[in-house]
Amino acid sequence: MVQSRSLIDEKGIRSDGRVIDELRDVKIEVGVVNNADGSALIEFGKNKIIAAVYGPREVHPKHMALSDRSVVRCRYHMSPFSTDTRKSPAPSRRETEISKVIREALEPALILEDYPRAAIDIFIEVLQADGGSRCAGITAAAVALADAGINMRDMVSACAAGKVDDKIVIDINDTEDKEGGADMPVAYMPNLEKITLLQLDGELNSDEFNKCLEEAIRGCLKVHEIQRSSLMEKYFGNEKGLKE
Amino acid sequence: MQETKRKYVIPGDIVAEGNLKPLVNVFRNGNSIISTRIGITESSQDGAKVIPLSGVYFPRANDIVIGKILDHSSLSWSIDINSCFLAHLPAQDVFGRDFSPAQDDMGRQLSSGDIIVARIAIFDRTRDPILTIQDNDLGKIPTGELIKISPTRVPRLIGKRGSMIQTIEHATTTRITIGQNGIIVVSGKDKEGVTLAINAIHIVEVEAHTSNLTQRIKQLLNVPESEIESDDTQPSHEVNDTVTNADEFNSTKTDKEGMINSNGSK
Repeated sequence: MVQSRSLIDEKGIRSDGRVIDELRDVKIEVGVVNNADGSALIEFGKNKIIAAVYGPREVHPKHMALSDRSVVRCRYHMSPFSTDTRKSPAPSRRETEISKVIREALEPALILEDYPRAAIDIFIEVLQADGGSRCAGITAAAVALADAGINMRDMVSACAAGKVDDKIVIDINDTEDKEGGADMPVAYMPNLEKITLLQLDGELNSDEFNKCLEEAIRGCLKVHEIQRSSLMEKYFGNEKGLKE
Repeated sequence: MQETKRKYVIPGDIVAEGNLKPLVNVFRNGNSIISTRIGITESSQDGAKVIPLSGVYFPRANDIVIGKILDHSSLSWSIDINSCFLAHLPAQDVFGRDFSPAQDDMGRQLSSGDIIVARIAIFDRTRDPILTIQDNDLGKIPTGELIKISPTRVPRLIGKRGSMIQTIEHATTTRITIGQNGIIVVSGKDKEGVTLAINAIHIVEVEAHTSNLTQRIKQLLNVPESEIESDDTQPSHEVNDTVTNADEFNSTKTDKEGMINSNGSK
């Protein structure tokens, strides 16, 4: 791999000004799509992603329905204007794959047996992409699912970690993804302490892998706090305390 | 009344620890009881549960719902009850046991587009819900304005022992029929009253969790303070009301107007 420039300077500052264990700024707004049963807008650094959830609702076509649980359908889509050069709006191989892995990352958290013969539709629309959009998409979709009032075992929080200039860093951005050594997106159920997505693009030795996973989970826990505060703000305003 | 502990939770949060019975919207994981919804927990000796604050309508047996007739086959009507399942109203429920598809004209009783208030007679998730209009006060609703609110706001709209809905009905001289599926029919001779009632209902929906809501609704409707018994003067956390009201609603029969019987007691 040709590295044209150093991605981390001698002071340990990354290309976008962060230190190695710092997340990009994350902001989540709940309930942005009125027509959906649940929705969320996430700004994860320069990523801007809307997630909308519909359901449980009737399954069309009906033969897709399952008699013992709900079906989950997920569509991850990048808008034509989300990247530097126009992206064709037709679903690409990459989008189809990401739709599948996002669905599989969210399914373990959903109690699908509560909604037999119904469907839960998740739409993730990337308005602006900057690396780590699948993690941001999962994070937003989990918030939207909670907003839609679908029974969940736990929230799902996602964050990537990776290797840049032989250092393990958290929350890889677009430049680091393209020019760095490895990128490992992880989705995690923070309360049940279970991993629902783990992908790895690049090479890591066993020690690096363990460190990377540890860092990614730490990132997920930070993301979870932001998910929690956004939902709390929407539903309870500033009252966060216990009440008797 | 025994002591209950309440707190705000999101899915995955621990509602309670120990050997409590998991009731609704919770599940057990080891020694803890975990919430599956956003809402307010309520744990007492009886068990732990979460009162959800979001979600679409999911049918339950014995719920009173308002639905729209979509179509009929030779034996039943199919009805949209604002949920993921179509409900069915058997023709025998309307015509009696000697119903004969050859002799009785189903279209004369109920035709597509009609709005009915019905009770869910049978529902077990494996099949679509079966409705009945056999009880008192159920059946076709001839006139009125149809509005939809979130089903999680229905208990707040009814208020403690029907206080909120009675306030609105008295002040606007309207009749308000509420279905637990979040569909509401407002009828009345005075058009302005109907509009005012609809506005009030929308305010209740949006501000369901805020303090002193009944007071503000009374102000909006110009109700003198003394006229209606004030039972809603708790300083804050009115959402708590939904906790008891939800139970009350389930156990209380609707009266002729479809509103909650004001004598229903807990």
